[in-house]
Amino acid sequence: MKQSITLKDLTADLIVEQAHAAHEPGWLAERRHEAWTFFAQSGPPEWRRTDLSGLAPDALTLSGAVGTELIWDAALAEQGVVFKPLREALNSHEELIKAHMDSAVAPLDHKFSALRAALWADGALLYVPKNVAADTPIHVRYTLPADHHMIMPRTLVIVEANASATIIEEFISADRSEQALAAPITELIAGPNSTVRFISVQQWGDGVYHIGGQKAVLGNNASLEWTSLALGAKVQHIEAETTLKGNGSRVNWLGATFANGSQVLVTAPWLRHIGHNAESFMQFKTVVNDTAYSVFDGMIKIEHESTATSTRLEEHALHLKPGARNDSIPGLKIDTNSVLKGGHASTSGDVDDEQLFYMQTRGLSKNEARRMIVMGFFSPALDTIPVEALRHQLEAVIEAKI
Amino acid sequence: MSNDLVIKDLCANIGDNEILKGVNLTIRGGTIHAIMGPNGSGKSTLAHVIAGHPDYEVTAGEIWYGGQNILELEADERSKLGLFLAFQYPVAVPGVTVANFLRAAINAHRAEEGKDPKETAIPMAEFRKMLREGMKTLEMDEGFARRYLNEGFSGGEKKRLEILQMTMLKPGMVVMDETDSGLDIDALRIVAEGVNRLAGPELGALVITHYQRLLNYIKPNFVSVMMDGRIVRDGGPELALELEEKGYDWLREELAGAA
Ligand SMILES: Nc1ncnc2c1ncn2[C@@H]1O[C@H](COP(=O)(O)OP(=O)(O)O)[C@@H](O)[C@H]1O
Ligand SMILES: [Mg+2]
Repeated sequence: MKQSITLKDLTADLIVEQAHAAHEPGWLAERRHEAWTFFAQSGPPEWRRTDLSGLAPDALTLSGAVGTELIWDAALAEQGVVFKPLREALNSHEELIKAHMDSAVAPLDHKFSALRAALWADGALLYVPKNVAADTPIHVRYTLPADHHMIMPRTLVIVEANASATIIEEFISADRSEQALAAPITELIAGPNSTVRFISVQQWGDGVYHIGGQKAVLGNNASLEWTSLALGAKVQHIEAETTLKGNGSRVNWLGATFANGSQVLVTAPWLRHIGHNAESFMQFKTVVNDTAYSVFDGMIKIEHESTATSTRLEEHALHLKPGARNDSIPGLKIDTNSVLKGGHASTSGDVDDEQLFYMQTRGLSKNEARRMIVMGFFSPALDTIPVEALRHQLEAVIEAKI
Repeated sequence: MSNDLVIKDLCANIGDNEILKGVNLTIRGGTIHAIMGPNGSGKSTLAHVIAGHPDYEVTAGEIWYGGQNILELEADERSKLGLFLAFQYPVAVPGVTVANFLRAAINAHRAEEGKDPKETAIPMAEFRKMLREGMKTLEMDEGFARRYLNEGFSGGEKKRLEILQMTMLKPGMVVMDETDSGLDIDALRIVAEGVNRLAGPELGALVITHYQRLLNYIKPNFVSVMMDGRIVRDGGPELALELEEKGYDWLREELAGAA
């Protein structure tokens, strides 16, 4: 895309023209056209808790480039693993991309999902062929260059049958004085018997609006460990979903959100059970400080075709200041008579005074005790991060927010 | 003496209830002093007030330790003066490992004003050695250090951890609140041996217990009895045996008769 175009000046024809100019395949240009048409015709989404009043997307200028860093052990390529910028991958792996792109997400869901599908500029493809164990972390890092207003990266992860991989998707930037929008799409397709660890880290600087969609679809006996960390941005609205499509598929999903200052961080994680004997565990933890606001808008949907589902949802919130708020809105929709186990637990409140006292009697100051309690609260999620440098960096970010 | 713990006319409330109604008690440095008393007499309240629990309001009296009236000090400052409370009900802190917590506690004790905490922190190798040795003497297995503080611990594990912390922080005065409750004989022996190893001229101990059983393992120099928020009798080890034999009602009746 040309640097100078604002959203308000864009048209469907212009988008198709640019797709052709970039030598994109015809099917992709068509999808962009369809998505843009939907975007242009639809009103803003009705998100009651996500404050988008400060966002004026029409005036934002588009940038074709996305700051993308791919960090991995390139020796994995010898096993057939493909990890490359998505645009480049369109040349080498067009059929693979065509078959999987938009298979997990629904581009015409609402105005922003359509916007992302119409305008995504670059991103990453990770392809792990069947029977390949990619045993070192594969890390894609999206940055927002200082002179950019809007980025729409797209991550497509395809892990085939009996394969395994650990993927980190990270969003990071400096603080901004002018507004910026990040609207990423992430799709993760886990084949039969595959084992996937997925770590998503949102640590944008201040001033960034993050409106993202992340969807994972699990095949038979696939197993997903998903850690979702949300620390940065001015406003975040993430719709995330794991569809347990395959029989015997499993997901273990840990979330950690820390909102401080005047951040508004909304996460809507969904679990969809379709396969038989599938198991899900979701544990989302939230810390709110200052006058920040955080929302857990979770949903477990057990579809009619599923049987013998086991599911458990936990949400826990800690308030560090009286002005900080958290809304927890867990939902459960069951369309079958065959559920094996279902459980739910929820806690919310201030840091426990008895914990503080106990720790203080061992010499820790109240602040130090509070710091340890908060770090401990997040440690199940942090412990899953396989890259020590990243884990330490995130710990430092969290400590600074306490 | 500055290593004595001196409690004078101490009155304390929780909410509108007066629980301690004028406690007078001196625990001499280097001695073991047992406090016995029926349930609800205020023993744990006394322990919490000594340690500086913010929920209790001290309405009168003083507590002296280390040459100062400690009532104005925060709980962590009292700890750094050398006071240690072994809890009747140790608190679980999920996500904080035993090892990390102990290291933070030791470093808090070693910190010095105006010095970079990194400079005063215990070297990792020294800490690990100290932890390993401490756990070994208390018959705790190595994996224990990586578990979350008191989370999912059995009664015996919790009390052992209290003694481990005490061993590593080297206090001058400990208050042990019903450390015997919920322990089987084996655990009781291990815990008592842990205390006895530390006992000596450098350690004073206020040992709170409901039963005399613990005192077979930890031999007190002095015994005091608490009832209804006051110390009602002081004596030697024989007082504990007398109570064991005759029960608290005997003492209650005797006190009523004297009044
Ligand atoms: N947090 C509290 N709130 C209200 N009353 C309390 C609280 N803690 C203790 N008490 C009351 O104070 C009295 C003394 O309790 P406690 O100090 O625990 O006694 P002991 O340890 O000797 O069994 C009891 O009557 C108890 O009910
Ligand atoms: Mg008690």
